[in-house]
Amino acid sequence: MCIVLMLFLLSVYRGVADGSVEYIRQNKTDLWILQRNATNILRGSSVLFASHGKQIQKIPRVQSVSPVLLLLSAVKKGDQAATVFLTGYDPTSRFGGPPELAEGRSVKTDQEIVLDQAFAKKYHFKVGDWAQIQGDTLRIVGISKRTNAFVTQYAFVTLHCAQSLIGFPGIVTCYLVKVKEGEDRQIVSRQIQKKVSGVEVYDHQTFLQNNIREMQSGFLPFIYTVAAIGVIVLTAILSLLLSINILERRKDFAVMKTIGSTNGFLSKLIIQQALLISSAGFGVALVLFFPLVALIEKISPEVSSQSSPEQIFVVLLGLGGMSLISSFVSMQRLRRIYTLEVFS
Amino acid sequence: MTGTGMGSTVVRLDEVSKIFGSNGNRTAAVRDISLEASSGELVLLLGPSGSGKTTLLTLIAGLVEPTSGAVSLFGRNIEDYTPKELQRLRAMRIGFVFQTFHLIDSLNVTENVVLVLRFAGKTRTEAKRHAKDLLGQFHIEHLFRKFPANLSQGEKQRVAVARAIANGAELIIADEPTASLETKQGFDIIRLLHEYAKERNRCVIVASHDLRIVEFADRVLRLEDGVITKTQSRTFNAFPAHLSIQEDISVLSSGKSPDTVI
Repeated sequence: MCIVLMLFLLSVYRGVADGSVEYIRQNKTDLWILQRNATNILRGSSVLFASHGKQIQKIPRVQSVSPVLLLLSAVKKGDQAATVFLTGYDPTSRFGGPPELAEGRSVKTDQEIVLDQAFAKKYHFKVGDWAQIQGDTLRIVGISKRTNAFVTQYAFVTLHCAQSLIGFPGIVTCYLVKVKEGEDRQIVSRQIQKKVSGVEVYDHQTFLQNNIREMQSGFLPFIYTVAAIGVIVLTAILSLLLSINILERRKDFAVMKTIGSTNGFLSKLIIQQALLISSAGFGVALVLFFPLVALIEKISPEVSSQSSPEQIFVVLLGLGGMSLISSFVSMQRLRRIYTLEVFS
Repeated sequence: MTGTGMGSTVVRLDEVSKIFGSNGNRTAAVRDISLEASSGELVLLLGPSGSGKTTLLTLIAGLVEPTSGAVSLFGRNIEDYTPKELQRLRAMRIGFVFQTFHLIDSLNVTENVVLVLRFAGKTRTEAKRHAKDLLGQFHIEHLFRKFPANLSQGEKQRVAVARAIANGAELIIADEPTASLETKQGFDIIRLLHEYAKERNRCVIVASHDLRIVEFADRVLRLEDGVITKTQSRTFNAFPAHLSIQEDISVLSSGKSPDTVI
């Protein structure tokens, strides 16, 4: 189960890492404009105004400016309420909307909403249903994919709708800027910073990395803690199994010592046993892992996971390390097995 | 490696004592024992339980250090061997046969023999070939793939003897090798050890309380309370085996120490 836990943590980490920043990754704009000193949209606040957008639009090399307003908001269905990362964007723009739709279409009017697939599944929303957000009733017109940030999920409405909900018309979180074909993004970036006061400009890659770092700093310590507990428990279990095995085969070890075995040979035996136990455990874990993940995702759709051969290899490698550590721990017992034990 | 020619000394003990315990709880397992065992002879350490036979064997094998006196193995004082050298010695030049066989249960017959050959540095292929040849010589080729749990007591001990001599050990140490066997099986085993001593010119030291072994021994050292109380030698008196056996039986059953030394 410890191995399943490790595989699961890695796949959840990968799922969260991807899901959290997929919205940013898929909006392949050239520049992201935020309030000065804001570095990300996941765990930072940024407030810009319509005037900022107008100023940016005036810069000659800028092709388009897409405003996006992000806010945490509660979606209600009957007595149930759940928080979403509400994203208001301009439906006429190429940027700011859902990266991919599982079904339905994008929003066109202020009375429509697109919900994340995991969120919709968990709260039993489907296209055509109505959802309540801060007193407004919006019709679900689409279900989006790759918008599950684990802790919360993205939902998409028009910019105007989002601004109405927050009660501040003209306010946005960031602007997504596309530069004209053939223009240098660095030059445009410098021009925006020079002409528009109070903003921070990031190229797409830098902004994506900022958000990944932010997500990791919030999520990785938790993963590391649980993984460390898993490693300690697994190493302890392995050491215990090996020690029991040594005690059960005490006579055999004493005989081998008597008839001329080297300590190296006995140590090799212990390591082989550790690797054998680990490999068997790994095989069982692998068989259990995929059905278990499917079951967890069915029960809690917001738990998105992604598995890859690299992750499996990493766990296998870690398991090898743990096998060695537990072998060395249990080898201490060999010292207390004496050759005299084999004589009658 | 020191060679052991016909009649050359393999083991020599000079006034060896071994005391276990400390302070007020000290017990002398063996006291002031001197003996020599040479290649080509089968020496029997005869005595009841607790007489010090096993302690003497472990001293001879270098598994324990004497409290006083000197143990010499293959012409070199045991204290001069490093632990690594002693391990090599046990792997290559000393073979062990135990009362309860001590075969490795998780290995089949061939693998049990292969194990000691591997300890002596043979490759897996060499070891396997050699083990099969040896088991063939012992007429137990039909047991190649069997596991110890599926063998009779006699078969187990035959495998154990094969394991002990697999590396051509110059010294065989056998601790009560017939104690767990029926009479015929016991005779078979002791005959094998005797043949090994004579035909291969090796030294075999057997510790036992089994008087039936006496007739195979070149020398019988009778031990009681950690002391050699009597030595019988085939060389000196053509070994009146039947008389000796009767005498030993009466002595061992009465628990008295004999006062005559032949």
